[in-house]
Amino acid sequence: MQVFLQTFIGGMSLGAIYALVALGFSLVYRTMGLVNFAHGSVVMIGAYLASTFYLTVRLPFALAMVVAIGVTGLIGVIIERVLRPLENKDFDLMLIGTIGFGIVLEALAIVIWGATGRAVPSPVPAAPLDVFGLRIRTYDLVVLAIAAAATILLVFFLQRTKRGVAMQAVAMDHQAATAVGIHVGRSNSMAFMIGAGLATLAGGLVGPLLYVSPAMGGLLGIKGFAGAILGGFGSVPGAILGGLSIGVIDSFAAGHFQGYSELVTFLIFTMIIMIRPTGIFGERTVNRA
Amino acid sequence: MTATPDQSGIGRRLVVDGLSVRYGGVTAAHDVSFTVQPGQSVGIIGANGAGKTSTLKALMGLVPRTVRSIRFGDADLTRVPGRAMVRHGIGYVPEGRHVFPGLPVEKNLLLGAYTRRWKGPTLDTLGEVYELFPVLREMRGRLAGALSGGQQQMLAIGRALMSAPQLMLLDEPSMGLSPKLVSEIVAVLKQLNERGLSILLVEQNAQLTFEVTTECLVMENGVVAMTDTSAALRQNPQVRKIYLGL
Amino acid sequence: MRFRLGVLAVLAVFAWLLPYQLNSYTMHVVNVMLLYAILAVGLGLAMGVAGQINLAQVAFFGVGAYATAVLTVRAGLGFWVAALLAVLATAAVGLVVGTPALRVQSHYLGIVTLGLALAFTNWVTNSELAGGAEGISGIPRPGLPGIDLSSAYLYYYVELLLFAVTLAFGLFVVHTSLGRRMRAMRDDSLAAGAVGVEVPALRMTAFLLASVYGGVAGVLYSGLIGYVAPETFSIANMFLLLAMVIIGGRQSLVGCVVGAIALALVREVLIDYPTYAQVAYGSVVVLTVVFAPTGLAGLPQRLRSAAGRLGWRRTVRQAASLSPFQPYEAGPARVEDAAPILEIRDLSMHFKGVKAVNDVSIAVPAGQIRGIVGPNGSGKTTLFNVISGLYRPTAGRVILDGRDVTAARPHALAHAGIARTFQNLRLFAALTVRDNVLVALDPTRARGTWRYLVLPLGVWRRDRALRREADALLDRFGLRAFADSQPTALPYGTQRRVEIARAMAARPRLVLLDEPAAGLNGDEVRQLCDIVRSIRDTGVTVVVIEHNMGMVMSLCDHVTVFAHGAIIADGPPEEVAVSPEVIEAYLGETMAMPAPVASEAQR
Repeated sequence: MQVFLQTFIGGMSLGAIYALVALGFSLVYRTMGLVNFAHGSVVMIGAYLASTFYLTVRLPFALAMVVAIGVTGLIGVIIERVLRPLENKDFDLMLIGTIGFGIVLEALAIVIWGATGRAVPSPVPAAPLDVFGLRIRTYDLVVLAIAAAATILLVFFLQRTKRGVAMQAVAMDHQAATAVGIHVGRSNSMAFMIGAGLATLAGGLVGPLLYVSPAMGGLLGIKGFAGAILGGFGSVPGAILGGLSIGVIDSFAAGHFQGYSELVTFLIFTMIIMIRPTGIFGERTVNRA
Repeated sequence: MTATPDQSGIGRRLVVDGLSVRYGGVTAAHDVSFTVQPGQSVGIIGANGAGKTSTLKALMGLVPRTVRSIRFGDADLTRVPGRAMVRHGIGYVPEGRHVFPGLPVEKNLLLGAYTRRWKGPTLDTLGEVYELFPVLREMRGRLAGALSGGQQQMLAIGRALMSAPQLMLLDEPSMGLSPKLVSEIVAVLKQLNERGLSILLVEQNAQLTFEVTTECLVMENGVVAMTDTSAALRQNPQVRKIYLGL
Repeated sequence: MRFRLGVLAVLAVFAWLLPYQLNSYTMHVVNVMLLYAILAVGLGLAMGVAGQINLAQVAFFGVGAYATAVLTVRAGLGFWVAALLAVLATAAVGLVVGTPALRVQSHYLGIVTLGLALAFTNWVTNSELAGGAEGISGIPRPGLPGIDLSSAYLYYYVELLLFAVTLAFGLFVVHTSLGRRMRAMRDDSLAAGAVGVEVPALRMTAFLLASVYGGVAGVLYSGLIGYVAPETFSIANMFLLLAMVIIGGRQSLVGCVVGAIALALVREVLIDYPTYAQVAYGSVVVLTVVFAPTGLAGLPQRLRSAAGRLGWRRTVRQAASLSPFQPYEAGPARVEDAAPILEIRDLSMHFKGVKAVNDVSIAVPAGQIRGIVGPNGSGKTTLFNVISGLYRPTAGRVILDGRDVTAARPHALAHAGIARTFQNLRLFAALTVRDNVLVALDPTRARGTWRYLVLPLGVWRRDRALRREADALLDRFGLRAFADSQPTALPYGTQRRVEIARAMAARPRLVLLDEPAAGLNGDEVRQLCDIVRSIRDTGVTVVVIEHNMGMVMSLCDHVTVFAHGAIIADGPPEEVAVSPEVIEAYLGETMAMPAPVASEAQR
């Protein structure tokens, strides 16, 4: 039981990161029906930017994050602007376009920061807490708290602000949204910006947990995406639950299958997609002739 | 609620001149021209595929169009994009309702007032819409997608009213509704018109249209086949022929 | 044609003489390039031709290479035996990776295949069998009797031969039945199902093809390098491959090859600056999808049309015109009170509580033209969608000629004799008019795909026979002049007629027409009526949804009126037209009152 709980808790902090990545995916999917394959690369860029501002520029960790989020938000806006001609027309082409952006971002990261990775020290004291015999790293708690705060802020934005509600409306019916006066392009641009911001939040937070390297984007991206699908694509609670589940599955897989953990995670994910393509919270959509 | 006077103090006149819509190789509407006087209610009727919906969508700027000119009062709307039409005092109720299904009723209504601030006068408008459609007040927290067809239609009309328009474009509000619900919608439209709201109504249901409007265009194969007062058209055998193909 | 043969001959001679001009390093580069070309052709078949997003192509490549390595080094098999087994193993993996395509498409499929590719890299990096991060070295060089393949020069010819064979096979597939059905599925999987294409089987076939190409390239790779390691099969290389296919033009196999060679060359030139090369090709991918989605392969076409617009080329082509329809030979005389060919019993279709069709029963006797009318949103199209298998009804049965076909797959229903058209036209946009018809005409089933391996000549002959049949059908429908045009370039009325021709190509027993007159002018409507009558006279039953009441009145033997998902009237047209319920549904209640209709009906 002790081991079980320890493994479970170990999976939660990475799970929270996956959940943040999943939220970014979901938000963009929800507003534009597009899966942003560059999302993982934005996570990676965010991780590098945050660690650079933190380690090299020596900004406080929180401030480093904020600056990094600002920069990647701009990247999100650029991606959306370039691909806008394809919006609501050809989703497969848009998907490939985002893959293209992913390739570029990854190469740029190597150009700027080199191919070897870097380790980021934890911004909070490393001594773990001891709760009922379970060891909990303080940084894990920080990650969970920030992820929770970000989720609450996002939900507040989507439910309580005019722009947030409008963003959801665009996703549901872009023509009706246009008719009530919403600028669809601008709304999509903002969705991409927020998505990129969430990616950077995840990237910045994951720095002290993993090694920051140009290759980290692919793995974080696909696991975040798996989380988003698992929970039901486009649903906020689904993304959170799905991301956390992937983290926990990962943690158990690592305990039981060591090096093969990724293999096991992806196989489980593929099976779930096969059985229930709409995820836990998703709804089946109707094919219209 | 809707008769908020314009700068000029009276309502505004809509003048559409030479409106055409083409999709690929198909001409959906060709050279359609008409006028809606301030406070007037005008209908466009015709069989399915006659180009009514295309005309309305093109007027709203939701589909690519060619047009000589569109004027609303003093404003030239010829080059105004779809998202800005509502700022000029034009509300739109789309065919098939097109409410935002995943949002609650009240959010749907508030989105209708997207171009206004969500406080003060807007909340008054919201109260008036709830008064007009009490059922929407009951359902305010319910997701719009979970409403019945009739309730969704009321919501779509309510949403358009939330922008405090001077002219409302309605596209087939009777679609898929039972006769009883249709007569309720008719009553609401008449009431709104009496309060000074100009109406442009596109309908397949000619009877409904004649009841609500004073003047009608009859469309056939993308062109205006005739224009007359609703009272005269009601007696016109040609209308019956166009509809029933006899 | 002669020009093409000439180009081909020049290319062949060039490829043959190439090794004499190159040093051994460059020879090696060319050898690797050919492998990428084979991989790109496989990816092009899955993504460009069949429309299945496949981000696992590099994993197929890896499976082929690793399987060869394991079987030769670990199991001690000879190279060619190992090679054969490796390709089979890759094909098996391809089928496994393809299974998600049966359930999900587009983005989901992309991420699932990408995940499986990552799973593969994860496995080889950790597995002792696969040698972990170091990989497996010491793969024996393949030998042929009398030829020493350890020379990169001679190996080149083996690769060249295999490349030529695989490319030719790919092109053969694309231009015959299998490829045509795949392209149809890519353009519109719903319509493809409705004309009898077995969509699930073809999706699997697409992955099977892609994996075999990957396997062949993998085998050649292990024989060329003699060493396999995980990083060759990384996601970065997957994206490079994807870039080759997109930049080259995914819908054209030759384009894929050009893209592969071009990018491999660029990569070689920028070998000292690999990251800048990556920035460059990533950007080109983005620019390609936004500005030239057809890639390099589509450039000639775009240049030509641009030249046409600028008036540099005079367009000599006369605008082709629609010829009159030639009626079918009348079939056996119609039997009054024939047994129903289509029976719908107590059918309901609800969507999230909306009762689109509610407890409807209809029986259509064989050889009838049945009209279905009713206001918008009254459930007519939903009914069609249930009959043709797109929806599984909430309750009730659909019986075709005495056989219960409720909720059968669309392609099974098409094979059983149901054909349909769609309200908003669903032609295969990137196929020619002839190919549109051919897809429906083609009785080839997915299980007959083995013929491609065993009897390619038979496939070819059969295809030519089908072409002749298609041309005869196009002649009948007066569409021959448009046989080689893309349907989207045609006038709307002509497109409508193409769709009817496509529906008739499968020789159905029951045809469902969904608003066939929408958007047609008076003359076209009259021609349509003639066509429908002639179809009926061959003994085919026609059910038509229509709003053009004039057409319904003159054409239909029997009319069923829908309102709110239920039938409100049913009978001969002249009775239905005067029934108060119908007039009310269309015009509103008081219009039903005044003066008898008959006296007003004179024009």
